[in-house]
Amino acid sequence: MSATPVLRVSNLTKRFHGVTALDQVYLDVHAGQIVALIGPSGCGKSTLLRCLTWLEQPDDGFIEVAGKPLGRELMPGGVVRRQSRRQIDAMRPQVGIVFQQFHLWPHMTALENVVRSQIVVLGRPRLEATERGVELLTRLGLADRMDRHPHALSGGQKQRVAIARALAMDPALMLFDEPTSALDPELVGEVLAVLRSLAETGMTMLVVTHEIGFAASLADRIAFMDHGRILEEGPARDIMAAPKEPRLQNFLDLVRFDRRIGRTTANPTE
Amino acid sequence: MKFDPAVLVDYWPLLLQGAWLTIQVSAAAMLIGYVAGIVVALIALVPGWLPRLVTGLYVETLRNIPFIIIVFVVYYGLPFWGIRLPATLVGTVALALFASAYYAEIVRAAILALPRGQFESARAIGMSPASAMWHVVAPQILRTLVPPSTNMTLTMMKESAVLSSITVPELTYQSLVVQGNTFAPFEVFAAVASIYWLIAAVIAEASRRLERRVGAVQAEAVSRNRIADRYLSLVARKN
Repeated sequence: MSATPVLRVSNLTKRFHGVTALDQVYLDVHAGQIVALIGPSGCGKSTLLRCLTWLEQPDDGFIEVAGKPLGRELMPGGVVRRQSRRQIDAMRPQVGIVFQQFHLWPHMTALENVVRSQIVVLGRPRLEATERGVELLTRLGLADRMDRHPHALSGGQKQRVAIARALAMDPALMLFDEPTSALDPELVGEVLAVLRSLAETGMTMLVVTHEIGFAASLADRIAFMDHGRILEEGPARDIMAAPKEPRLQNFLDLVRFDRRIGRTTANPTE
Repeated sequence: MKFDPAVLVDYWPLLLQGAWLTIQVSAAAMLIGYVAGIVVALIALVPGWLPRLVTGLYVETLRNIPFIIIVFVVYYGLPFWGIRLPATLVGTVALALFASAYYAEIVRAAILALPRGQFESARAIGMSPASAMWHVVAPQILRTLVPPSTNMTLTMMKESAVLSSITVPELTYQSLVVQGNTFAPFEVFAAVASIYWLIAAVIAEASRRLERRVGAVQAEAVSRNRIADRYLSLVARKN
């Protein structure tokens, strides 16, 4: 494993009006890994993703993407400096995020959704950006949907456009916020296939999910979060087979019980 | 006494002059007011309490004072700082100020009505706030802006009559002159009423066309719910 992780989060803390949403979070994601972040609702998973894109400003701690600081940096002499908005914006394309609700831009075609930010943010010529957009959308099986507006796409197609939009910026890391929750249960297998094909290209991913089965069949490593802290982190197999943390044991028991009585969505691996 | 439009024959050029000035003043105030309104709305959306407080004070001050008093305050206030400007210029600025407060609220509300994720997804991918506004937010709110902005523009055009009280020779001012010369108030004001009506009708029609044009671009992209569509649009629908 290379020395510099693609994502290094240290001591990340975020409070909302006195409520601690993230409590000294430490997390490393190495190149090519898929890390699933699991935990009960309100445990801080989504807040962590929002902090990693600096849509939410953490109160304390550091984020490093591909060895470069994002948002806040440690200067020589131990002085902590907040980065300027320009510095942060320059780092942002490095972190691709696929939102739970995708947030595609409805006034643009699928292709334009993928092309526009390449032109605006990376300064690519339109021709080159279009080529890249076509290539990505084709790879994701949307060759015949490129001229459609988002409202004319299915949920799964929208998600793939959102993935293409993020990939077009050549990110070092992809973040996924609950990739299965906005879709029909029978599409979970499809999402899994798309994320696996991404993994084959060597993409590094951090996937927030509350679906244990999905996490177990996708991820190399699993991090369990509760009350704003990462309580346990390790290889997916070990975490599923022998959770050490009592709260994680509880969580797994609960979810497995739910699945037995059919309360959670279908699990493609079973 | 009988209705005698013939008294207007000698005076119609004066009324036309006045109407032309009303149109010019309103158009200028609309442009200046809208630009100022957009600026105020964007400042209001900057995070933090200070921008919201300052823009809130601006908007509330202009909205809570009768327009005629705003006109008097500006017109009689400027000489206190040794600034003497033509009444027409002062009147246009006062009208623009007045309209800008309402335009600002219209723009702010339209931006806030857009799901937050739209702006956030543009920011998260690396667009600057200005780029995100230009490429993602602005095209989506254009259509929403047209109907309320038209209402405000019509109100403002009609309020421009108040400028007659600071000697701006617009339509109402000229009608008072004509009325003084002819002693035929009913004929004069009936004629003036028709002219105002005509100007307003032209603005409303222009706005309807604009909405249709912006709407055509957008209709495919954003489908509003049908009830909202009916009540938020000025374009007459068949059903």
